[in-house]
Amino acid sequence: MMDLSSAHDAGARRLLHPDPSVKRSFEELANNLLALGERPLRVAVTGPERGAGCSSVCLGISAALAGMGRRAAVVDCNLRDPDLHQMLGEPNFLGLTTALESGRALENYGFEVLPGLLVIPTGPVPVAPSTLLESERFVEAVRGLGEGRDLVLLDAPVAGTLLGSPMLAGGFDGVLLVVHASRTSKNTAREVTEDLLDAGVNLLGVVLNGSPAGTA
Amino acid sequence: MPSTNGPGWQRRRGEDPVLPEVLHVLWERRLLVIGVVLVLVLVSAVFGLREQRFYTAEATVSFQPREGSRAGEDPEAFVEGVLGAVTARGFLRDVMREADWADGPEKFGERLDVERYDGANGASGLRVRFSGANAVEATRSANAYADVFVARVEQLNDRRLAGGTLAADASVEEYASPEGWASPRPFVLAAAAIVAGVIVGGAAALLLESRARSWRNARDAELTLRAPVLGVIPDYSSEEG
Repeated sequence: MMDLSSAHDAGARRLLHPDPSVKRSFEELANNLLALGERPLRVAVTGPERGAGCSSVCLGISAALAGMGRRAAVVDCNLRDPDLHQMLGEPNFLGLTTALESGRALENYGFEVLPGLLVIPTGPVPVAPSTLLESERFVEAVRGLGEGRDLVLLDAPVAGTLLGSPMLAGGFDGVLLVVHASRTSKNTAREVTEDLLDAGVNLLGVVLNGSPAGTA
Repeated sequence: MPSTNGPGWQRRRGEDPVLPEVLHVLWERRLLVIGVVLVLVLVSAVFGLREQRFYTAEATVSFQPREGSRAGEDPEAFVEGVLGAVTARGFLRDVMREADWADGPEKFGERLDVERYDGANGASGLRVRFSGANAVEATRSANAYADVFVARVEQLNDRRLAGGTLAADASVEEYASPEGWASPRPFVLAAAAIVAGVIVGGAAALLLESRARSWRNARDAELTLRAPVLGVIPDYSSEEG
């Protein structure tokens, strides 16, 4: 298990050891998500534009599940702009791309952030990253990762990029859309929601991140 | 792209009504809408107080061919004949004198509105409306027109005996009463201001909302995106240094 002091991003530390109100919100979100389908649930998490906080939401949900004694995994699928390993202060030498190229199981390339919470970074970014995510191997690898776990979250690129990746958008159980209370444009979010639905994506629901009210 | 049929929620474009979202936006920005309404009501009140108010009174006169005369054979020619004969030769001057009008024929003509109508049993009539600075003036002028009209018809009937051609009966159907209506009516102005305020304020609220980057709560997100909100995460960025 990783040393939490290495998580040099203060936000990441707060997600892994949140205060009670934040923890309660993530637990509620995690329970709502798990109530949507059979386990393991594999969900792509995306936002209408950058800055919605998808990586944070992925970490928060999975940390909440780990705190409840469940097992979860987060896979960084932002091959063009990976940041999950940076949030956690971990290297990115090995990860998703390494696993797909080697054909070995994904869980061999992650690090356990908390007991029950495995994070898989992107690994070295190849020249044509999108082709890796279009392979059946990718889908199989994520399915394998779900075995013995309640939830696998795919920290996906923004919705516009996600829609260009059929495997990410439609290869799993659904898509969770994250909007930020002060950074996400309402118009953009509305258009993206319509685009996702028009593309036949199974939109599981929306997460309002960074809400000043803090409650539903 | 493979379409999924998982546990999620699906909606087609335009399937859900927009009304709840609009009502939600108006409610959330109600202070703006109320402010615009109040400003417009205030403007209408100032306008109503500054603008000269006119009172309008209405009298009706009816006339028809006298029994036994041949005038009824061509009703249109009869009406034209009566109106032409009665309103000629200083008719308005007589009406103004009867009404004690002192502001001259031009202004009298501006305030006067005479409309012809066809009544029952071949009778024709005139609706005489007059807008005065007060109810008494409006009533007096409308009634003066009606009285002078009837008197003139009688005079022309008398002249028939001396070789004239008109044979008509005329009477005042209804005299104008002092309970006419005032224009502009304050309650109409206020109602128009409220309606305009809601429309203008509502449009401004919707415009601001469409450009907004602030989401208030889960209800706001649900109505904006018309999708279920699974969770709300509070802003924890300032909780730690």
